[in-house]
Amino acid sequence: MRLAFEQVSYSYAGAASRKKKAGKKEKRQADWGNAPGEVWALRNVSLTVEPGEFLGVAGHTGSGKSTLIQHMNGLVHPTEGRVTADGADLVDKDVAVSVRQRVGLVFQYPENQLFANTVYDDVAYGPRNMKLPEDEVDRRVREALLLVGLDADEIGERSPFDLSGGQQRRVAFAGVLAMEPEVLVLDEPVAGLDPLSRADFLALIASFHASGMTVVMVSHSMEDLAALADRILVLSEGRVFALGTPAEVFADAAALKAVGLAAPAPQTFASALREAGFPLPRALYDEATLAADIAAALGCGDGAASAPDGGGGRG
Amino acid sequence: MAVGDRAIIGQYWPEDSLVHAMDPRAKFLLSLVLMAAVFCAATPVALAVAALFIVGFYGAARIPLLQAVGALGPLIILVLVTALLNVLFVQGGQVYFEWGIICISEKGIQSAVFIGCRLFLLLLGMSLLTLTTTTLDITAAFERLLAPTARLGVPAHELGMILGIALRFLPQFMTELGVIYRAQVSRGARFDANPFKGGMRMLTALMVPLFASAFRHAETLSAAMEARCYHGGDGRTRLDPLRLTWRDGAGTAAVLVMLATVIAANFIPV
Ligand SMILES: Nc1ncnc2c1ncn2[C@@H]1O[C@H](COP(=O)(O)OP(=O)(O)OP(=O)(O)O)[C@@H](O)[C@H]1O
Ligand SMILES: [Mg+2]
Repeated sequence: MRLAFEQVSYSYAGAASRKKKAGKKEKRQADWGNAPGEVWALRNVSLTVEPGEFLGVAGHTGSGKSTLIQHMNGLVHPTEGRVTADGADLVDKDVAVSVRQRVGLVFQYPENQLFANTVYDDVAYGPRNMKLPEDEVDRRVREALLLVGLDADEIGERSPFDLSGGQQRRVAFAGVLAMEPEVLVLDEPVAGLDPLSRADFLALIASFHASGMTVVMVSHSMEDLAALADRILVLSEGRVFALGTPAEVFADAAALKAVGLAAPAPQTFASALREAGFPLPRALYDEATLAADIAAALGCGDGAASAPDGGGGRG
Repeated sequence: MAVGDRAIIGQYWPEDSLVHAMDPRAKFLLSLVLMAAVFCAATPVALAVAALFIVGFYGAARIPLLQAVGALGPLIILVLVTALLNVLFVQGGQVYFEWGIICISEKGIQSAVFIGCRLFLLLLGMSLLTLTTTTLDITAAFERLLAPTARLGVPAHELGMILGIALRFLPQFMTELGVIYRAQVSRGARFDANPFKGGMRMLTALMVPLFASAFRHAETLSAAMEARCYHGGDGRTRLDPLRLTWRDGAGTAAVLVMLATVIAANFIPV
């Protein structure tokens, strides 16, 4: 499914009074600039989520990331502009309801939304809402739990409130996966997890993407986004600040810094080394590739006799 | 969208006014007198007099009336429902419309308008207190006013603390309810569909996470309070002790004049 944002603007204040002002859309356009009280959570955002891609969303706190992703399954509707799924406008209630079965949205701290008596029932909530036959529900619950590394027979009858925080998050995750969405939208999925669970979860998300799912992931960690995303969207104060491959987005570390973000550490270090005269050919570096290229550069002794000092001083 | 985005009734409206600067204890008691005055109004004239005074008080508090009415929000529905019930149940005078057991008469309309206005004024009067007083001050006033009953064994400080915490967490819970609502809608819950079919399941999908979060908050809050050596009300002092000033005298005078005028206005023949 292709999700397209066309000049989307969203204002929390506008949403409340949108019904009243429905007829005055043109006038609202002029509000920007001459109405200082009006705060736009999103402003003129245009982008397309291509089928099968991994789109990372970054931005400082309050930049509109959560607001953006709630547009993706019609939970909130643009104050201006429109969001379409394969060409159908999500403002239409029926479209939104059917899109919700194909776009799985995992909120931040999803474990806070668990409610059922048993893990099994909680995971089955989505499929049952889709009015699937009970044997299909059963298949999906088992598969979803298996995907997140839990066993339905072992844990299915326990209360979700008796599980550890990490397990609870897995269950909540499974609850969305059981709907077998084509597009998985995640709002800071690894916030508040220990390093090991973090790595587990990120590997899990990468495997969903590898199996063909479209993934949209909001994250504060540029390292994670650089490692996983095909494209990265950077929001700043509700506007699209940058949209491109990790290499393109992280090329200008100074500009990123200006909107409150930092390029991944290896990338920043690589740019610093490059300035000092190191020959580093790649556009995007992680720890391993950077180490390898530095070793190669030093090993060849390639025109950088004084570089190790410069590099060491900066490190 | 639907849940959690609305402003809550009686949120504090920061402003620099005479009413804001009054002692919360005085405001608390005076708002009771003000409500009594509205109840005393038995004729439309007296009600109009009460309305004039309330508008005047809002002027003194420098709060735009429209904002105050807007903040009442869902409570307006309460007013309308009450008025509607009056139309249906009060009979007498000329009959305008009759259909089955539904009968709309002159007296019914009159009483609906009157009761509706009175209830509306009551709500406006009450929100004047919450609009001009921070929750912290309201709790402090509540606690201090209850203090004399402590000798009878009423846990005045605890009640005040409970009230304060409850008020503090209301907006928080509204926000969380909004998030939970959206999360369940994302999983295909349709709260706008038939509310009688599967209504219980929808309710649990919202209420269980909300209660779970309430308990979580309660636990962390009590731990945080204990970590800061909270040990109940004994020997606690206030950073800003409550003090009565000339403003409270003026306010008392104004509200008493209102009470007297409204009672007197009852005797003006219509
Ligand atoms: N319910 C709300 N009512 C009013 N304004 C809101 C509401 N939720 C968010 N906002 C505002 O909208 C803007 C965007 O918020 P949003 O939650 O989308 O940011 P975010 O990028 O997800 O931030 P974070 O990284 O902290 O999660 C912020 O300025 C915020 O203050
Ligand atoms: Mg967010």
